[in-house]
Amino acid sequence: MNTTFENDKDNLRYAEYVLGLLDADARAAVAAEVAAQPEAGAAVARWQAWLAPLAVEVPAVEPPAHAWPAIQQRLGLAGAARPRLWDSLALWRWIGVGASAVAACLVVLTATRPGAPPAPAPAAQAPAVVMVSTLAGDNGQAAWTATMDVQRAELTLVPATPQPLAAGRDTELWLIPQGGAPVAVGVFPSADGKRFSLPRALVDRLGPTAVLAVSVEPAGGSPTGQPTGPVVAKGSIRAA
Amino acid sequence: MPGTTPAERDALNDLLQRTGARDEKAFASLYKATSARLFGVCMRMVGDRAEADDILQEAFVTVWRRAASFDPALASAFTWLVTVVRNKAIDRLRQRPAAPAADIDWEAIVDTEPGPATRAEAGEAHGRLRACLDELEAQQRRSIREAFFGGATYNELADRAKVPLGTMKSWIRRGLLQLRACLGT
Repeated sequence: MNTTFENDKDNLRYAEYVLGLLDADARAAVAAEVAAQPEAGAAVARWQAWLAPLAVEVPAVEPPAHAWPAIQQRLGLAGAARPRLWDSLALWRWIGVGASAVAACLVVLTATRPGAPPAPAPAAQAPAVVMVSTLAGDNGQAAWTATMDVQRAELTLVPATPQPLAAGRDTELWLIPQGGAPVAVGVFPSADGKRFSLPRALVDRLGPTAVLAVSVEPAGGSPTGQPTGPVVAKGSIRAA
Repeated sequence: MPGTTPAERDALNDLLQRTGARDEKAFASLYKATSARLFGVCMRMVGDRAEADDILQEAFVTVWRRAASFDPALASAFTWLVTVVRNKAIDRLRQRPAAPAADIDWEAIVDTEPGPATRAEAGEAHGRLRACLDELEAQQRRSIREAFFGGATYNELADRAKVPLGTMKSWIRRGLLQLRACLGT
């Protein structure tokens, strides 16, 4: 190794940049050097080639199923479905944990959604078009947020806190009318959430007297049509 | 593991170059071949599924936009992709407050050996790096690995290892110079 001390110092900075050791300012300074000076770019590229193979030591993890369509959509690629704000689970996740925040945004979205028929002027006793529910576990922590659009008969379930789930188990969403037996809404991937289309009979039962609940079931859902596993979260339904 | 045997490396390089030429099918195949490995890297670095998901999406948006600048003479496609993903993750980590040191068990996580399957499939470049890392002192090796996987600053690493900042800097810098001597020959 017949390099000078100055060379070593520079080279170390590039290695530190590649490892991610630098604070935001120092990092930006090296990035600017890389863009402006070919030697800096070459030194950084060399460290990247040396160190990147470490990445094979991390276990692979299947990304959420919605990630690829979301990428296509962001880039406007042909395979992408026509972008609709309502359909973006990423948006719902981003809006996130607070059900009231979701509700507030939803009112705006519903009112401004392109292509939606003009909303009828709200009569005083008209049923709420949008309802929300925060499904929390016994510890009070929100696990999922549900948003229901009555006109479209859709329910969007978004994880707030990812729930660890044993292999071979699925989470299932239930609607429990007051004084009635639970009605299955559907099985969903615990960490990803899901958008459900609701049968009209189910939509009619949404309301402040009903409760949403999530139980852990064998893969594919409850074999009996009623919850068989532990209820891990539940929440009442309210108008947004 | 994509991109580790010479044939896989060539196939991945080809997919990334075709992505640069706006071939959407090649882009879809590239995603299929590499997304689980890259999402694993995101998860390891930020530790949160929703944030890792955001980073992966941002990274692939960048891949599509910048793939035309990929030059297989300068880097393998895998190195190029890992670099895009890690840069996104590191930028995110720099924007948030330092992770509480108490959450991390330094002794437990930083010197794990990859299993034999990983070793076998990881390829030549990884083998060379491992051999050179193995020549370092344990503390140097741990610190460099934790910096790579955790995207942590010197300060955060010193906290986690419960050593003075100067000690951490010296472990890593001496380790990096030794690595360069070993890998550069």
